[in-house]
Parts: sequence; C-alpha cells; structure tokens
Amino acid sequence: MRYLMLSKAGSTPPDAKLYADMAAFVEELTASGVLLATGGLDPAGFKMTSEGDEITVTDGPFTEAKEAIGGFALIEVRSREEAIELGHRFRKIVGDGESVIHQVFGP
Amino acid sequence: MSGISATVGAVWKQESARIVAGLLRLVHDVGLAEEMAQEALVAALEQWPAAGVPDNPGAWLMTIAKRRAVDHLRRSSRLTDLDAERPASGSHTGAPDAPGAPAGGDIQGEPGSGDDVLRLMFIACHPVLPTGARVALTLRVVAGLTAAEIARAFLTGEAAIAQRIAAAKRTLAEAQVAYGLPDGAELRERLSSVLEVVYLIFNEGYSATSGAELIRGDLCLEALRLGRLLAGLAPDQAEVHGLVALMEIQQSRAGARTGPDGEPVPLHEQNRGRWDRLLIERGFAAMLRAREAGGPPGPYLLQAAIAVCHTAEKTDWVRVAALYESLERLMPTPVVRLNRAVAVGFADGPQAGLDLLDDVQLADYHLLPGVRGDLLVRLGRPAEARRELERAAGLTRNTAERDFLLRRAASLALPEHDGPLLGLSADSFLTGLAPATARAYEQSLRRIVRALGERTPLSAVTASQLAEACSGAWPRVAPRSWNRHVSAIRSFTTWAGTPILAAGLRSRPVESVSAPPGPRPVTGGVNLRERVLWSLLAESGARVGAVLGLNVEDLDLDDRSAGPVVWRSGTARLLPALIGDRTRGPLFLSDRRPGPGRPPAAVDLCPETGRRRLSYERAEYLCKQATGHTLRHFRGTTI
Repeated sequence: MRYLMLSKAGSTPPDAKLYADMAAFVEELTASGVLLATGGLDPAGFKMTSEGDEITVTDGPFTEAKEAIGGFALIEVRSREEAIELGHRFRKIVGDGESVIHQVFGP
Repeated sequence: MSGISATVGAVWKQESARIVAGLLRLVHDVGLAEEMAQEALVAALEQWPAAGVPDNPGAWLMTIAKRRAVDHLRRSSRLTDLDAERPASGSHTGAPDAPGAPAGGDIQGEPGSGDDVLRLMFIACHPVLPTGARVALTLRVVAGLTAAEIARAFLTGEAAIAQRIAAAKRTLAEAQVAYGLPDGAELRERLSSVLEVVYLIFNEGYSATSGAELIRGDLCLEALRLGRLLAGLAPDQAEVHGLVALMEIQQSRAGARTGPDGEPVPLHEQNRGRWDRLLIERGFAAMLRAREAGGPPGPYLLQAAIAVCHTAEKTDWVRVAALYESLERLMPTPVVRLNRAVAVGFADGPQAGLDLLDDVQLADYHLLPGVRGDLLVRLGRPAEARRELERAAGLTRNTAERDFLLRRAASLALPEHDGPLLGLSADSFLTGLAPATARAYEQSLRRIVRALGERTPLSAVTASQLAEACSGAWPRVAPRSWNRHVSAIRSFTTWAGTPILAAGLRSRPVESVSAPPGPRPVTGGVNLRERVLWSLLAESGARVGAVLGLNVEDLDLDDRSAGPVVWRSGTARLLPALIGDRTRGPLFLSDRRPGPGRPPAAVDLCPETGRRRLSYERAEYLCKQATGHTLRHFRGTTI
C-alpha cells in the first residue's frame, strides 16, 4: 500500500547535519524500494477556486510560513505500522514540527 | 499490546535482512544467525510493551541478537573470530536503553552493511539449494516474512514451508558454503541465480489468477522490493537493472490486468488510464541504468524492452520480433520461440509465424496449439485451426481459459468431417476390453488422444502424425515402457480398422534380461527400492501408507503422478529401473515370495513375480537400519 506524507516546514532551521542525515535516509529508502517519489514544495504556490462557472487563480502564500507544506514523500509499504515506523524515523531527523500521512488509494 | 506487536512486526520487516546479514558475518551460519535474530525479536515482544519502543529499534534488536551470538560463540570457544568483529567500546551512539537487557553493554548493535545483505542474498539463493528452497529462504531471511505468510502466498501449508526452510538451512550448513562474495564469472553466475529467484517470486504473484489474489499480489511487491534492494547493492550489474525494469513495467499494469469480476483482461484491451505511470517511469529509469552499466543486453533487459514495446499505443511488432530473435539467441527455449512466432506472425504475416513453429517440441503445453490455432485462423484454414484450439482446450488446466478456447473453436465455421472422432473411438475401444487390459492401455491411449486432439476425426490422422505424437509424448522412456505404449496404440489402430496408422511405430530392442528373483542390485550402499521409496516420500510429501500402496498400473511416468501422489525428477530418474518390465501389481515388492502359511490378499500380490507388497513394518525397519530415521521423517523433506 502507498502512503503520502506531507510535512510542514517546521521551526528547526536545517543545518548541515540535518541535510546529511536526510540524504542518507532518502538514499536508504530509495535503495530498498520503499520511497517511490519525494520532493520539496515551493511554500508560495497558487490556489484555484471554482464557484459556479467561475474559476479563479490566486497566487500564494496563503498561510504562515510554519503552516505551509514544505515537502512530500510517496512510500510503498506493507502496512500502516510500517508507514508509522518510517514516519518516526523521519520526524527524528527533522526535529520539531508535524507531518500528515494519508493512504493513497488506487493503482 | 497488539499495537506494540504490530510495531515490532513492522520494525522486523524493515530491519531483519540487515540484522540477519550482520549476524551472518559473525557466525557464518544462516540458521544460527536467524535463530539469534528471532531471539531478539522475542525479547522485543517481551520488553517493548512495558518499556516503550526504543529510539533506534533496529540497533536495539541488533544489540540483543549480537549478544546472543557472542554468548553462543563463547560457548563454542570461537572467541578469536569474535575479537576481530567486535567494534571498539562506546563507538556507537544508538546504545539501547532497554531495561532488563542482558548485561555486557560493550557489544553495540550495528546492523549489517549493504555488502552483508548482498552476501545474505547470495547464500539464500545458493546453487546447492533446490529452487523452491531458495525462494522460501529468501522470503524468510531477506524479506523477513514469516513461514505462515510465505505459506499463504504459495497456497501451501505452514508446516511444509517451515520444513523447507529448515532443510535449506541444514543443507547450507552441511555444504559449508563459502561466506565471501564471489567475483568474476562466478559472481555473474551466482547473481543470475539470485535474479532467477526474485523473478520466480514475482511471477508466482503475477500469474496468480485464482484464490487469495490480494495476498499473491503482495508477492509481486516483495519481489519488486527485493529487486530494487539488489539494484542498490549491485548497481554495476546491468541485468539487475534489467530485471527491475521488467518487473516495474509488468507491475505497472497490475491494476488493469483484471476486470471487475476478476477475469483476466488481455494487454491490448486494458484501460491504459489504469496503468501506473510512476512504475512505468521507474521501469524506464531502470532500463537506462542497465544501459549505463554497459555490456550487451541480457535476457532480462531484452524482456523489459519487449514489455516496453507493448506499452506503446500501437505495438511495433517488427521491433518485438527482432527483440525476441535476440532473446532466442541467449535463451534458446521452446517458449521463447513460441513468443517469437507470435510476434513474427504479426510482423511478417501468419505463415511466417507458423513456419517458426514447425520444429517446436513442447509436449502438453497448451499455448503451442493455441498459437498455432490463432495463426491458422488468420490464414483462413478453419478446420485445422479448430482442431488446434480444441487440443489447446484439452491441455489447459485453467477452466476459464478452456471455456474461452472452446468458444473460439466452436465459432469457426467448417465443414464437418466424416467418420468417428479420435476421442470417442478410443472410448469405445477401451470399454470393449477386459478391465485389467483397459487400465493398462488407457494411460498410453489417452495421452496420444490428448496430443492429437479429442475431436480430430480418425480419418484425418496420418501415420507420421501418430509417430510424431508418440515420440513427443514419451521422449526419454526406457525401451520397455516405449514398447508398452506402442503395443497399446497398435492394438487400437488394428481395432479401428486402420492398422496402417501404426506403420511409423517401431518397437525398441530391450537389452537387459529381467532381474533374477531375490534382493535387487544394491547401488550406493542402499537398495534401489529403498531409494525410490524415500525419494518418493520426500518429493511427494504423501503418506507412507499411500506410497506403499501404489501399483505399477497407477503410475503416469510422464506426468510424474499417480492420483494425488506427485513426484519430481529424482524419483522420475529411479522409477523405470524399479518397475523394469512389470506392467501391474504393487510398485514396492518384498524381497521374498510369501511363505505358504500366510497368503497375502490378491491386491498385495504381484501377478508377474509372485512377490508380495512391501509391508509398512518391513520398510520402516529397513529405513531405521539404514538411516536411523523413521519413514515419516522423509515426508516432504526436500522440494
């Protein structure tokens, strides 16, 4: 099953150690076939709203910096517990903050 | 509690390969390494519910396991090995803080490195092991599945899997396989064994069309995970990437391969929107890595390239045919030739495809007549096509497929042939015989009817077709068995008033004279009869009573089965010698004729030699004498 993890930017400013630990973590998960895709997100982004026939595009940012989604990871695991376990390891590396994890339905 | 045990399970699945691999470096014995790792798992299940999950659960497990390993090594006074392996005290920061963990904190848990895991994979797929054992052991120690999970995936019993794994570990220990990584030509050879195992696991899941489909689908994911892991560990090996590419691309269609009711959907009818783009892209990326690794494309890369061709909106059959031609050069198997013929049939027309099938020998493989039938339909030869499709239907074991083939065959308009059909003729021939003769003839005759087609009119069969069908059905049988088949068929053709049909069938000279009564020749210290019995028990896993109760006329040597008792190549090699020229009666005979005082029941008496069936007691006694084990010990011991 696949899970999508969305992580907010967090309050701990990244340092050299975090980058190194993160790179090693990503490399390990990629090599073991668990991590299918990952990336950082532009905190600004743009928003599209539809109402009736009208669709509007608004440029971001929309939220406080620490509330914005800063990155995502798509993982393929055997169980919810495995997703939680990997989430554990990720949160240990990045420090204070929060991630939201959803199971991805489909293919 | 169950939350914790689920967590332990998750940690285990993610870490077990590196833990077992790290221990293997220490103890050089897969069985022992896994045992230590299991002990650590038990400790986790005991301690984590109260103490909480440690910060670095993998290191925690490794530490416990390593301490057990050290204890074991101390006991076996192999401390010299240990000192070289022990990391410097306090060098590791992930020290476990488990209360109640054994004292002696100088041994730190550092799960095995990538190379350790690679070594573990090589050993689990070692050529001394039979293929089934390699598969089970790899899923167990590399993928971290339990015996129960493996059994579910392979639709078999947990005990059988556990036994298979235990036997594999024993074999490895007894063979004292080298622990180091091979290099050069040996590396390539051993690697191809690993790739084969991974692809077998994948196919086991991929080709599942029935039963607990979801569970079987998980096998594909395990294989993918193993392949990706291997690609990370041996990135300079082109074929590893080739295999990963092949699996990613095949798996990308998983969601589109079955319809709402579970029925298979052919590739060109699949909803492409349901293909997994992410996996297709990963497949492409793996192909590029394979190409970067260099060397001429190997079989997996070629198959991946073929799979990619089928991904295109319109399949480039000329290219597919060319790729199959390259593949056939590397893997000159009938199945590859068959696939090539399909591609050539589309690229250069049905006649060209049909020509390629001329010299293909694939006894009882339903796809061969299936493909022939297809090509014949397109050539506008419906009568032959129908016969081929019906033959294919008679050979397939899948009911959905059989129905499909029969529907296709029935839809072909063709003038009815005159005269009786082969299948019905054989039936009436057999019913007119004495029961014992009918039983003896039936097997041979059914076999040939299946090969030529139940609904083929007798008048359409030629002598050379019949001769070809016989040599295809029984390619490597002893002269005596061959003659038995031939006389059954001669008798039939004579009965049917077409003795000329058997003109192409020659009896074969039989060299040896029949063995004198008394004990049979002893080979390798053990009587042939005993060797067949043990091997049959081991390969079939059947009950001892059922095996001793077998009769010669029950055996289908070509199908390697007698009712529910199914055997493999080991037994198949030995059986003809044991049967000799007997055609009926108990398979396993006692050494002596029965005394006058205790006449055995008719079913237990061999009508040809006058000897009685080997009794359970006697067989058990001989087995204990020779091996120290009971007969039941042999049941299902190897695969």
